[in-house]
Amino acid sequence: MPGTATMIGEKPGDEEKEVVRPPLVLNKRTMGWISSYISSIVEERTPTWWWVSMGVTVPMTLMCLACLAYLVATGVGVWGNNHPVGWAWDITNFVFWIGIGHAGTLISAILFLTRQKWRTSINRAAEAMTLFAVVCAGIFPAFHVGRIWMVWFLAPVPNSNGIWQNFRSPLLWDVFAVSTYFTVSVLFWYTGLIPDLATIRDRCTSKIKKFVYGVMALGWRGGNRQWRHYEAAYLILAGLSTPLVLSVHSVVSFDFATSVIPGWHTTIFPPYFVAGAIFGGFAMVLTIMIPACALYKPLHDLVTVNHVDKMCKIILLTGSIVGYAYLMELFIAWYGGNPYERAAFWYRAVGPYWWAYAAMMFCNVVAPQLFWFKYFRTHLLWVWIIVQFPNMGMWFERFVIIATTLSRDFTPSAWGMFHPTWVDICTFAGTFGLFTTLFLIFIRFLPMICMFEVKAVLPEADPHHGEARH
Amino acid sequence: MKKIPAHPPRDVRPGLWRSLRELGNDPEFARHLEAEFPRGAELYEESGLSKRDFLKLMGASMALAGVGLTGCRRPEAHLVPFTKGVEWTIPGKFLYYATAMPTRTGAVPLIASTTDGRPTKLEGNPLHPFSNGGTDGFAQAAILDLYDPHRAKSFTDKGKTTDAAAFDAFLQSVGQGGGKGVAFLVEKKNSPTRDRLRAEVERNFPGVLWAEYEPLGDSEAEAAAAAAFGPGTRLLPKFDRADVILALDSDFLNPIETGIGYAAGFSARRNPDQMGAPMNRLYVVENHFTLTGGMADHRLRCRVSDLGEFTRRLAAAVARRTGDPEIASILGACPKAEVHFDEAWITACANDLLANPGRSLVLTGPQTPAAVQVLVHAINSALGNLGSTLLGVVTPAPAAATITDLAKAMASGAVETLFIFGGNPAYNAPAELGFAALLPGVPDVVRLGLFEDETSKLARWHVPAAHFLESWGDARTYDGTYTTIQPMILPLWGGISELDILAKLLGSAAPGGPELVRATFESLVTGGAVSTAGGPDLLWNNVLRVGFLPASGFAPTPLNFSAAAAAPLAEKAGPAPGGLEIVFLQSSSVDDGRHANNSWLLETPDFVTKLTWDNAVLVSPATADALGIRANNFGKFEEIAQKLGNEIDYDLVADIVEITDGKRAIQAAAIVAPGHADDSLSIALGFGHKGVTALMEDVGFDAYPLRTAASPRVASGLSLKVTGRTYPMAQTQEHRSMEGRDLVREGTLDRYHGNPAFAQKMGMDAHIPPNISLYTHPALTSAEQWGMTVDLNTCTGCNACVVACQAENNVPVVGKAQVRKNRDMAWIRIDRYFAGEPDEPEMLAQTMMCQHCENAPCETVCPVNATVHSEDGLNLMAYNRCIGTRYCANNCPWKVRRFNYFDYNQRPLDQLYWGPLARKGMADSLKMAKNPNVTVRMRGVMEKCTFCIQRIEDAKISRLVEAGPTPKSETPISPFKVACQQACPSDSLVFGDVADPKSRVSQLRASGRGYTMFKYLNASPRVTYLARIKNPNPKMPGADKVGMANGTPHGGHGATHDPHNPAEAHQ
Repeated sequence: MPGTATMIGEKPGDEEKEVVRPPLVLNKRTMGWISSYISSIVEERTPTWWWVSMGVTVPMTLMCLACLAYLVATGVGVWGNNHPVGWAWDITNFVFWIGIGHAGTLISAILFLTRQKWRTSINRAAEAMTLFAVVCAGIFPAFHVGRIWMVWFLAPVPNSNGIWQNFRSPLLWDVFAVSTYFTVSVLFWYTGLIPDLATIRDRCTSKIKKFVYGVMALGWRGGNRQWRHYEAAYLILAGLSTPLVLSVHSVVSFDFATSVIPGWHTTIFPPYFVAGAIFGGFAMVLTIMIPACALYKPLHDLVTVNHVDKMCKIILLTGSIVGYAYLMELFIAWYGGNPYERAAFWYRAVGPYWWAYAAMMFCNVVAPQLFWFKYFRTHLLWVWIIVQFPNMGMWFERFVIIATTLSRDFTPSAWGMFHPTWVDICTFAGTFGLFTTLFLIFIRFLPMICMFEVKAVLPEADPHHGEARH
Repeated sequence: MKKIPAHPPRDVRPGLWRSLRELGNDPEFARHLEAEFPRGAELYEESGLSKRDFLKLMGASMALAGVGLTGCRRPEAHLVPFTKGVEWTIPGKFLYYATAMPTRTGAVPLIASTTDGRPTKLEGNPLHPFSNGGTDGFAQAAILDLYDPHRAKSFTDKGKTTDAAAFDAFLQSVGQGGGKGVAFLVEKKNSPTRDRLRAEVERNFPGVLWAEYEPLGDSEAEAAAAAAFGPGTRLLPKFDRADVILALDSDFLNPIETGIGYAAGFSARRNPDQMGAPMNRLYVVENHFTLTGGMADHRLRCRVSDLGEFTRRLAAAVARRTGDPEIASILGACPKAEVHFDEAWITACANDLLANPGRSLVLTGPQTPAAVQVLVHAINSALGNLGSTLLGVVTPAPAAATITDLAKAMASGAVETLFIFGGNPAYNAPAELGFAALLPGVPDVVRLGLFEDETSKLARWHVPAAHFLESWGDARTYDGTYTTIQPMILPLWGGISELDILAKLLGSAAPGGPELVRATFESLVTGGAVSTAGGPDLLWNNVLRVGFLPASGFAPTPLNFSAAAAAPLAEKAGPAPGGLEIVFLQSSSVDDGRHANNSWLLETPDFVTKLTWDNAVLVSPATADALGIRANNFGKFEEIAQKLGNEIDYDLVADIVEITDGKRAIQAAAIVAPGHADDSLSIALGFGHKGVTALMEDVGFDAYPLRTAASPRVASGLSLKVTGRTYPMAQTQEHRSMEGRDLVREGTLDRYHGNPAFAQKMGMDAHIPPNISLYTHPALTSAEQWGMTVDLNTCTGCNACVVACQAENNVPVVGKAQVRKNRDMAWIRIDRYFAGEPDEPEMLAQTMMCQHCENAPCETVCPVNATVHSEDGLNLMAYNRCIGTRYCANNCPWKVRRFNYFDYNQRPLDQLYWGPLARKGMADSLKMAKNPNVTVRMRGVMEKCTFCIQRIEDAKISRLVEAGPTPKSETPISPFKVACQQACPSDSLVFGDVADPKSRVSQLRASGRGYTMFKYLNASPRVTYLARIKNPNPKMPGADKVGMANGTPHGGHGATHDPHNPAEAHQ
């Protein structure tokens, strides 16, 4: 808990040796500097680059919305989906985005519970990214259905037909899992925002801003009672979020794992999907944090190379888990002796979609191995370039699992290829516009770094700060 | 405005009262009366708001609210009942009438189902002697032709719309002219009424030229039979008596070649379990894969040009053994040719035929040159088959001139008025006649046709033809049975029939269709030996009722082969061998082009190539290599995958080739066809229409320009060059190989006798551990449990079931671009696999529809419970509940579920992508074709085979009626058939109650040949396949490879190859 935590690694017998940990905040930045700098990002005049970026991303967002409108007005056929590939880019994109949405809550909740202090400078942005990724993800399952106007059939509302949902269907579990995850993530994120919103409110000069931030800050005064309630609420939400991080992608993987289709029907999917999601999520956090810090240079004192280094290590770890899962799948397909299973993996590797499989293997398994080298983990440009591979690779992974599996399953007479249409491509590209637009709005109007938590990891926050060491 | 119902003022002494309280009319009662009606109702009375005020206020508010919303009114619609009850009609019930579809070989006897006076479905007439109740795809699709909105709808004179009266006046003037220069060009029809009217026309107008033309006619067969056996002789093969059959370029199992009836006789003898007679054995010699070739026990690829030499050598082998003098004398007349054949094949085949004298049968196709036909007759004669497996009848059809004779007369200017009934000679006449160029030289050309096609454009008059379901007629089926054609509906667009025109030409005052046909019938009955007991009216009505006149077949005649008369024919050399040949095929989609506007048929895949919406030049893999024709023009990624050991055959992009005979050339896409003869090409006729209807544009390639009258079957001495241009093609099935999976299971007769249950333990099925389920399934409680068996031994893959399902279940058409995107909507499909070497493969057909799994993978994954199981074992689709996640289709191992990606029923096929801008709604006439008992599905909804639930429910409801007050369980459901089963000409589909051990389906399911697919998934399908059994002749070359599509038997299960390695399974 901020302010009361002791340094990890301080053991009773180590009194003689001073443990030197790299500082989490560089350049001896003070509490005041942190508040004023982070708030200034929100308070200053809107920079030109922001307008330029919005000029790109807003039209992309509109393109996405236009594509969706066209889809609803015309039919799912405007995408390339067909028989046998009933799911293609739609569900690929869904799993891709929902996977990205894992890093934020993981950083916020699991690293919070495990007292990883370095999380404090990245958790806010990562959580925001989670929410925006889940928003992008939600578009696809909602719009991929043939009759979106009937999609409320998925909700367990009593109706005159007396028909309930099919609780055996993993797709229904998915609806519940994703909506729960989104709700809890929003609450978690917003709860963490409250003290900082109050800070901004207090610094506001215009009345309108003061009112708006004041409403959003929910009357936060920073009193002791409020902090106590806050700490308890945050801990509870962290506890709630932690299993959700694991459950959402496990449930998403059940969409495939509980089916009978060779290549889908496998028990390895839940852990493999979760590892992949963390892998892809961290890559996306780095993808957006590195440019954000480049734009606001002083942020490098808060989001340090040390942070980047740690995240790269996580990417290396989870990427290797994913690589292990790929190899294990191949091994089990061979060892299991089921000819359909063998064929499915054979076709993945050397079938008509071999290039997607090769791209997945290279991007997810080979490329991150560069992170064994400290140079690549600490050189920000290299990091940014390398994490694009997991970003792409995780999309290819989902494409390989979904589209290529369906294109060749049990009955060769029904085999067929999937080709994306311009609507597929524009919708997917448009979700990046939406994601970036939301993120730009976020950094413009909300403190993108959790001020009070960063302050808590400053040396000055230590109650024993300044005391002579023995 | 609700008014409080004030009680009427009362008399002091009421005459009638309903209660004592009313009599008293006390205040409490008045209050009670008030309380009956909604609170506040009385306020309207006392509010001071007059009706006028109210209307003003309401009007103003409506006007305000309605600004800009005035278009949001629901359109007014009326449901108008019949003002008079229609005789026999019970709302919601079909009425059935017997009729027939005329074909070039006779007629397909039919039963038409009609609803509210419109026919919606055609079934085979099971009572007819030349039918087993089956139909072909063309008959099934005839309904769509009837309602086709592209049909010609008006009389035109020199391109201007006119009316029937003007045409009548014209006919009168022709009649008054004495018939000078009058000629007729008609399609071949065995219609006694037309023959009768023709005789009258010829009597009234001497010098009339009556020509008949069929692009796919059987004039060669007729000529040969006439020479060999006497004029008018027709041979009727009796497949049920034949143990060994040799088909030489004959696709006799294809119902479209000879009409229905052959497949039934053949399939009856194809049963390995039959008592008293051996299973038949089929040898086929052909240049391209046909349905018959797919069923063959031994198949030899042979160029059509070399067929004469093959037959000569076979005849020589027969002659050597039998010493038959007739065959020897014919052989003496036959020219020889230098062609290489596998002599062992010929010898072993001849020996097998000779070992079965009188029980064998040699057949050849109707267009095989007469020279070859007489050799075949000689072989049959030497084998003693005449009179046993081949019966002779005499057809009384009068002789007619050919189109060549007509063209000569036209060129000489002798023809002034030409009546063209049906056909399309401007498009399909033999190329050397230049018929289209001759037509403008004839002053008055009258064209009677369903469509304003190429010929109509060159004619003075176009007369809209009545469809056979709109007009009276008659026909003799192939065996001669007199069959009536009665209309089901008045002509939709005022069309008339050729009988009407002939009768008007003869000056009959307002002749009606029924009178014309009945007059023929009377003459037949009074002139013939048919008993008229009960009076002619009763007999006529009975004939109309059953659709045919019993025992009215052609007169049988003994067959005596006359070598002397046949020898001159045999001397005529066939087409010159050598060089590249092209064989002209009957299209499975458009026949000779007559169904070119039928979208059901265009979208029904070809039996063998699985092509839709196109035809193509077929070429063997070796010849394709030699000529530089690529199997597919796809990208680099696919090429690499192929190098990695995959068979990649998706998204066919074919090379366009140019084929020329020196004078004329055609351009067409070429595809590589496994099992095709080398140095030979094949192309289906009837495609490549230009400027007729929007639907026909850019559909296929016209092959008629290479076809001559002298050699209708084949053109030789051609050259081919690859143009370098490519053409995308739409196939419903792209992959050819079973990939070592035991989907279609087959074995030889020996293997079956050794282990009758061999098919149940093939491949993976031999390794399945006992199933222990953690989950108890809900019991299926209904007394009836529906299931189906598919006999792969008799299923030829003829598509009749596919089109029948489309007609019955309102399955939409999606168009070529959508088929290319794998979005075809067919609920039943025929999977076709090739096994073995690409040059000499086996072809296997497997009818595939929803398997109605008891433990269905689709049902568990639907999030909204839109697909569920019924108590009688059906896998149901609740369309209204479906939101279209497509999860069920993904999880279906058979991939039989179909998703409506666009509003295929509502949007024109060329406007699918236009969204709300597309024209909405289908043509009114097409709405009439829909089965009223089946939902027309909208977009975004999954659909699939329902086992024709509408027929099941109909039968169950009928049982309730039948059972009356007795418990329904005591009343059996009267037998009924599902649509695919009813259409199947070879009886391979059997549907019924699997809970009843006595039912046919139960007995077939219990057969040793019965197996279910993907057994290890434990889905428990309700569709059981019966393994295909081959009957190879062990002495034939390559006999060891017959029936080995699943590998040779070893160690208790069926594979020597490693089925686990798909790379190895590729051939």
